This record gives sequence, structure tokens and C-alpha cells, in this order.
Amino acid sequence: MDIKNEVLYRIYGLLFGIFLPAALVMVYRTVQIGLVEGPRWRQMGQDNYVSNREIEADRGNILAMDGSVLATSIPYFDLYFDPVTASKEAFEENIDSLSYCLSRYVDRTYTPGGLKEFLIKSRTDSNNINRHILIKRGATFEEKLKIQSFPLFNKGRFRGGLIVEQRNERRRPFGILGQRTVGYVREGAKPVGIEGAMDSILRGKPGIQPSIKVDKKNNIWLPLENLTSIDPESGLDVQTTLDVNLQDIAENALLKGVNAHDAEWGTAVVMDVKTGAIRAIANLGRGETGWWENFNYAIGASVEPGSTFKTASMLALLEDGVINLDDSINIDHGRTKFFEQLMVDSSPESQGLDTIDIARAFTMSSNVGIAKLIRKYYGEGQGADRFIRRLKQFNLHLPLGVEMEGEANPYIKEAFSQADVWSGTTLPWMSIGYELKITPLQMLAFYNAIANNGIMMKPYFITNVQRYGEVLEEMPPTVIKQRIASDRSLSRIRQLLEGVVDEGTARKLKTDQYSFAGKTGTAQTNYKRSGASIRIGGYRASFVGYFPAQAPRYSCIVVIHKPRKAGFYGADVAGPVFREIADKVMASSAVAQSPINEKERPILQANLLPGMDVGAANDLRDVMKYLDLPFYGRPESEMAVIRSHADSILFQERRTAEKVVPNVRGMTLRDALYTLENAGLKVRINGVGKVIGQSIRPGNKTRGQSILITLR
Amino acid sequence: MSVLARVNAELRGDRAIWAVLAILAVFSLLVVYSSTGTLAYAKGGGHTEAFLIRQTIFIVGGLLITYLCHSTNYMFFHRAAPYLLLFAVPLLFYTLFFGADINDAKRWIKVPFTGLTFQTSDFAKIALITFVARSISAKQDYIKDWKSAFLPILVPVLIVCGLIAPADLSTAVLLFATSLMMMFVGRVEIRYILLLVLLGIVLFGGLLMLADAFPEVIRASTWTNRIREFVLDADGGFQVQQAKIAIANGELIGEGPGNSIQRNFLPSPYADFIYAILCEEYGLLGGITVISMYIILFFRITRLVTKSSKAFGAMVAVGLGIMLLTQAFINIATALHLIPVAGVPLPMVSRGGTATLFTCVAFGIILSVSRYVEQNPANEA
Repeated sequence: MDIKNEVLYRIYGLLFGIFLPAALVMVYRTVQIGLVEGPRWRQMGQDNYVSNREIEADRGNILAMDGSVLATSIPYFDLYFDPVTASKEAFEENIDSLSYCLSRYVDRTYTPGGLKEFLIKSRTDSNNINRHILIKRGATFEEKLKIQSFPLFNKGRFRGGLIVEQRNERRRPFGILGQRTVGYVREGAKPVGIEGAMDSILRGKPGIQPSIKVDKKNNIWLPLENLTSIDPESGLDVQTTLDVNLQDIAENALLKGVNAHDAEWGTAVVMDVKTGAIRAIANLGRGETGWWENFNYAIGASVEPGSTFKTASMLALLEDGVINLDDSINIDHGRTKFFEQLMVDSSPESQGLDTIDIARAFTMSSNVGIAKLIRKYYGEGQGADRFIRRLKQFNLHLPLGVEMEGEANPYIKEAFSQADVWSGTTLPWMSIGYELKITPLQMLAFYNAIANNGIMMKPYFITNVQRYGEVLEEMPPTVIKQRIASDRSLSRIRQLLEGVVDEGTARKLKTDQYSFAGKTGTAQTNYKRSGASIRIGGYRASFVGYFPAQAPRYSCIVVIHKPRKAGFYGADVAGPVFREIADKVMASSAVAQSPINEKERPILQANLLPGMDVGAANDLRDVMKYLDLPFYGRPESEMAVIRSHADSILFQERRTAEKVVPNVRGMTLRDALYTLENAGLKVRINGVGKVIGQSIRPGNKTRGQSILITLR
Repeated sequence: MSVLARVNAELRGDRAIWAVLAILAVFSLLVVYSSTGTLAYAKGGGHTEAFLIRQTIFIVGGLLITYLCHSTNYMFFHRAAPYLLLFAVPLLFYTLFFGADINDAKRWIKVPFTGLTFQTSDFAKIALITFVARSISAKQDYIKDWKSAFLPILVPVLIVCGLIAPADLSTAVLLFATSLMMMFVGRVEIRYILLLVLLGIVLFGGLLMLADAFPEVIRASTWTNRIREFVLDADGGFQVQQAKIAIANGELIGEGPGNSIQRNFLPSPYADFIYAILCEEYGLLGGITVISMYIILFFRITRLVTKSSKAFGAMVAVGLGIMLLTQAFINIATALHLIPVAGVPLPMVSRGGTATLFTCVAFGIILSVSRYVEQNPANEA
């Protein structure tokens, strides 16, 4: 055979025996994968990289009563640096100044040299390459902008290597104020406070965005343009009843209290009498590093109240109509025994007294007196049952059902119940606030009802739900019980509570500025009673009441648990906190000040009327309208002057000619400055008050001179 | 004279082969640009253009080299073959012991002053194939003989493949297979070739077993893993599945240039799995076009052999053609899950520096042969 032909045949053999069949198999296989098995593989791909990514909705704000923000979400940025990204030239050119900027403005623990070395190492040393160097965690928007402007970083993500990761963080602009009540929602923790209770409203609806994963390692997703994406729906804002000022007052007063007495914890709550709106709620517990809101004691701590409960006992007696306040009772010098159990008055005052009237026994908080009264009227037969029914009438056995999680239930024993271990000593000790449990807030609601003519309001925190300031849903005040007791009993009990402040245990707290009413409590804790011996582990001081006594506006409770120094009586420990809160509230709220235009209009006399007052016409008009003073004249000029004439006030024009020094005598500094500077003069000032003299006489030409005005 | 006419005059040799080369080069630019996104992100600080420019430079440079080679009389390579081989062997030695360690394998040496790395086996391939073509054509009169023909042809093949194998088993096996097919075409005794095939299989198996025993010394764990994966996993391993998703995404006409999604998931989408990305962006049609290009190339080489006057010319063209085709088909078959993952680039299409240049040399030599065949069509051997 011809060599060439043989070679050719062999080539054909290769071509048709191997290459062409291989090519056909490959074409077939491509078609098979691409078309026949296509749907399956495409689905696998979709599962692989297309995902409905949830887009977090903006969380709503929590607002105070006046609209100031108690909690809001703010974007924060985590900044990282990838030193490998930048080109060699750019990196080398900028590394010095970048290190300097970073060590100077971001983290001063580094020296520029040390940082530079570290960054170079992270870029070049193959054992130390780090492409995710933390620059700053939680930078604010402004800080982010600043860091982005640093050399190298200003070249952007791909040339500079600065990586910016955004996240939203919850911030409370008022810090610790009402922290526990504002609360939080955290992954893996029980939701707390308003954040927790209103979570479903605050959270909004997350959006859904089908996205495609373009980078596995860095978890980068690109949104897909299609119609199935759903925009996130921002959460709604929640407006609370909390008054930032009151909250601040309460928190500070409580802090002073727990500090002064080195207590274990304390709580103070201020409630609006008419509505039950909580205006302030402070909870401070001792932490390792200081005081902080570690638990919502007001809502969650169900404890033996001690003497503050005597009000309920007394109200029960009054409701049954079995006593008069001036009946007498023998308090046995403050010591008596019930079934071999010794009961002692905590105040030494009792030791010198035997028979006193009932009102006195209450105001001086005699345990023996109240307990004996209760035993006298409820100790026989089914009496205890009647007593418990009265307590239930005051709604003391039910939780309030506040919006927040974590309200502890009160505990009132059922009469003669074996399950509750009812014994002969239960009734007398219950009457003075032991063998039962109640939270500070529940106790406050009871006193609030007394202040509110028997209408028991539900304490509440949320007034409305709004979006961008537009109210969507109102939460009106809720009445728990229309009438907890008769008007007669209520007026008596109020009289007793005023007595506590006037001449009873809280008389030290009395003030001339306003009147308030309330009851002290000094409960024993961790006690062990057997017969005549009592071992006491500590005290819980409390004061609960309302102010002003005559037209109650706020009710307030202060409980301080286990004070360890400087006294333990309710009047000494909790009382001053109550006073401080009440003082500041009364001083700062307009309620406490009687409106001046409500009084009878004075007879106007020329010498009593303002004269020669000069000022902005609009302002003066507003003032006179507010004061309800009749005046005549309707000046057209910007500035006006007031003149008194006989018994009436004239309101006259004060014109200022152009390019002439104006007359500013009689004006306030604000108006004078405005007038003079508008005339092109430089003003120097001396003194305070109203202008009494000016260094350039009115009517002189203005040439941009400097003028000195004297005020007094 | 218009530019086109000028180009037409300059480019001699088989126009069809020129066309194949051009079409593959265009595909290369498009797909490499699209698929180096991840690489650009990881290494270049996001500068995808850098990779486009680099690839363009290599392709333009490569085409220049093709032009130069095709202008050279192919008999130059006939004369140069022994020297090329003499140069290649020590170079391979050097690479094996002192080469740059890239991806855990010593396949590269650094070219001084250029910052380029250079894969010695690319050069050795051309050297060996020209040398084998020369031997076979020279020994046609006694080609069936064992001692005077078979052994002299075989020894350099074994040396070169043996030197490549430790670091780059795929290329060694590929080159060995190419040599075998050349021997087959060159009328070497079929019994001997079969013996070699057997020997090759035994050697390959032995090597794998040795590698199992001494994993530190011989880098074959990837191979055993790949084979195990191919045999055991019906859908293929992660890479292969991603490749199939890419092909399926392309359907008939593809997602369009630059619209690949799978490039973000496929490891080295610009090299070993470039066929999958090509299918994703240009569809089945794109894939089939590329396969056809290689087949057309071989058809044209066959046509060339029928006209060739000199045995060396035919042998070297066929040898280089076989090399290109085997490599291309191994690459494509990998992406199609027809064979275990081999890890060879698609000639002329995959991103690569020196590999592209040497592929262009191969095209240049083939075109040189065709140019002289067309000039002297009547002069039969």
C-alpha cells in the first residue's frame, strides 16, 4: 500500500473513529444537559443562589408624652479595611497618612508607625494576610463620612479597600431614663417593657426581595428586578404616657434615696390620678458597677407591703360602718399577743400610750391598734370572710393587666383556706400588711382610686399608635372598677391619709407649699417569728400617696428595699423621695400655679399700669391679651409703645425714620438690638433690664457708628 | 490596496484554519472578560479591565507569533526539533526542582525581568511533537522495526512525559496519548502501540497506588479524589454540578454576553470550566460552534495531509492537531461530566499567558505547513 494513503487512512481512522464520535457525544451531552435535563439543573441553580431575602423594616419609635423620643433605631456602621485591594502605588503612597489619620482620629491606642507596620504586614506577609481588618465598630454616620475621607479610603470600595457594613441599632436618647419600662427586644432573650409588649406594632413588616448571590465568600447579594419583591413596611410609632421631665425627677430622687440608704433596690412610680396614665416609673437595682434598671420592680415584685396596707383594712372597717374615727382603742403600749405571737409597734411612740382614738392609731401606724380593730370586728365567726370580700371589693386580689409582660400577681389568702395555710394569726397580720403580697403598682392603683373618688383606673403606658405623627389608634384610659367604696368611707380615709402627713408618721415631711396625703410603710423582710422572739432580716420602706391633697392630680409610690444605713422607716427612707418628686412636680407644673387671669380683674389705676414700655407690637399685644388687659389703639408700626392714661392703656406707634439713630429707650434688649442693628449700628451693651440710655441721641444720622446702650 | 486585501495577501495558508483561530480568539476575549469577575474581585481590586487588557495583549501577541511562524518555512522546525528538545529536557528538570510553587504544584518558572510565569510543559509539548514528527517521518522506511524505529521514537516521549508527570499528570497523560496517536498515524507497528497503551495504564495505575501509599511525595490525591467522585457520584461533584447548572442556564441561545451567573460559583470559570460559561452566555449554539471549530481544524489538517509533499509537514501538522483536539475535548468532556475532572485549559479560549502563546505557535506551524502545501500542490512525495 502506498505509504501516504496508509497514513491518510489512519488519520481518517482517528478522525472518524475517535474525534468525530467524541464531538458528537459532546454535542449530544450538551443538548442533554442544556435542554433535556435543563429544568432540573436550572432549579438547582435557583435554589443555589436565588433566595427571598428578608429586608428589615424600620422599627418604630417609642415616644414620650410630649413626643420626645425614648427609643429609636439609628443606622450604625461597621468599618473594615481590606489592605490587599489597593494597588501597590496607591497603597504605598497613602499608607503613612492613612496610618496617621487612623491612629489620630479613630484608635489612639496605636502609634502611626505601629499601625503602618501592622497594615503592611496584613497586606504582604503571606502568613498574616488579613482582608477584614476592623477599623471601627458602630461608627455613626458622621464618623463614617469622616473615615471615608481619609487618604486611600477616599478612593472608594474597590480602589481603597474600605468595607462598610450597615446595621440598625436601637438607641435610647435619654439613656437610663425609664430603661426597663422602655425595654428591649433581643434575640435569645425574653422581650422586656414597651419594646416587648408593642413589638408586633413597632417591628413593622419585613419586605421580601428576591436576590441573587453573587459572592459566596463575602455573602454579597444583588437584588433581582422582578415583581415579586415586597417593600418593607415601617413599624408604627408608639406614644407612651411617660413624661420625660417627671421621669427624670423620679429617677434622680430615687437614685438619691437608694444611694443615701445603701439599699438593695428601689422603685418610684408617678401616676396621673384621673386617667391612670403612668407619668414616671423608675426602677433601680444595685449592680456590680452601680445603679441600673435591672428589673421592673414596680410591676414584677410582688411583696408584703406592710403598713401601707392598713389603709385597706381601715377602708374595710369604714365600709362596714362599724367604727367612727373618734372611737378609742387600747394599743397596749404597742405590744400585744395574738395566739402566743407577739406583735409590736415599730414606732417607740406607742410605748407611752394606751387608749387613743382610732384616727390616731392609724396616723401613727400602730400595728397593735389596727390589728386589734380588725380582730374585734372580723375575728368572730365568718368575719374573716367578710374582711377578704372587702379586700376583693377594693380589687386588691387581681392583677391590673398592664400592657407589659411580667406583672406579678397579688396574693390575698382566701378566708379559712387550708391551701393558703390560714391560721389564727393570719387575720391580725394581714390587717397590717403581712401574709399577703402585692406589687408596688397594684398598691398605687388602690391609693389612686382613693384619690380619684373611688374610680379605680388601670395604670397604662401607651396612649396611641401613630405613623409619621398621624394617630392611627388611641388607647383611652380604662376604668377597672367604677366605685371601690362609698363616698363617705372615701372622704374619711382621705382625711386619715392627710392626717398621716399632718400629725402622723409622715409629719416630718409636711410642707407649707402644698398639701399631700399618704401612708408610710415599714415592712419587715426575711423575718422569723416564733412566740415572743422576732428575727428581722431587713426592712422595706415605702410611702404611697397623692398630691395635692385637696384636688389630687398625681399619685405616687416609692418603695425602697433593704436600706442598710441612715434609717429604715418609711417616713425616713421612702418619704423624702416622695417629697422630692412631689416638690419638683408641684414647682414645675403649671397646675400648681394658680392662673393670674382667673382672679377678679383689678381696678386699673394709672400708677399701677405699665407705662412707657416699648417693644415689638405683636409681642406686646399678645401679652396684654393674655393678661386680659383692655387697650386702645392699633399701631401699624413694627415697634409700639404703651402709655397709660387715666385707667386705660394706649397702644401707640413708634416709627423709626430711615438713616437716623432710633430711640430705643424703654425697650428690652432683644427689641433694642433688633432695632439698632437694623439701622446699621454696632451695639455695645451695659447692664441688664430695659434700655435707660443710649450713647448717640435719637435723630442723629447713622454712619455705622458704635452705640453703647445702658440697661437697668 | 485596501486593508482587507493587504491582510488577505499577508495571511497565507489555509483560510479556514485562520478563521477557526480568529473565532476561537473572539470567544476567548468575550468569555474571559466575563468570567474573570471573581478573579478581578479577589486579586485585582475589582479591575476587570486589567484582565481583559492582559488577555487581549496575549491574544494579539499570540496572533503575531502565529503570523511569524506561518511565514517561516516549516522545515525550520524540522531542523530545530532536536535542539528544542535538548533545551526542553533540562528546563523541565529545572522546573521540577526549582520551579515556582503555584497552587501547590511546581509547573511554572519565572521568566527573568518580565514578571511573567511560564509553564515549561507548554514549550516541551511543541518540542516533543515536532521531534516525534521528525523521527517518524525520517524512519518511514523501517518504521515497523522495534529497535531502530520504535525505541528511538519512544525514549524521548517517555523522558519528557516522565518529567512532566510528577507536577502535572493531566498534561503528561495527554502528551503521551498524543504521541501514541502520532505513532499510530505514522504507521508504527500497532502491536507495539498497544503494548505501550497497556504499559501506560499499568504505569498510571501504579502511580496512583504509589500516591495512595506516599501521599507526601506524589501529588495525586486530587486525581484519586476526582476519579472516585466521577465513579461514585451520578451528578458529579460540586464543580461539575455548577458547570451543568451553567450549561442548563444557557439553554439554546444563551443568556447573552456578560450575563453569566454561574461564573460566581464555578471555581476557575475562565480556565477549566470555560466551556460551561461559554454555554451559559452563548447557549448550546455557542458550545456546538466551539466543538465544530476544533473538528473543522482537524478536517482541514486532514485535507492538508492529502496535499502534503513532505512527510514531516504532514506529521507535525497532524501531531499538533491531535494535541489541540485531545486537550480541547478533554476540557469540554470534563465540563460535560463525561470524564473525571482533568484540569486542562481549553486551547486558545481559556485565560492563560504562555499557554495561549504556545497554542498560537502550534497554529503557526500548522499554517506554515499549509502555506507551503498550497504553494507547491503538485510536488508529491
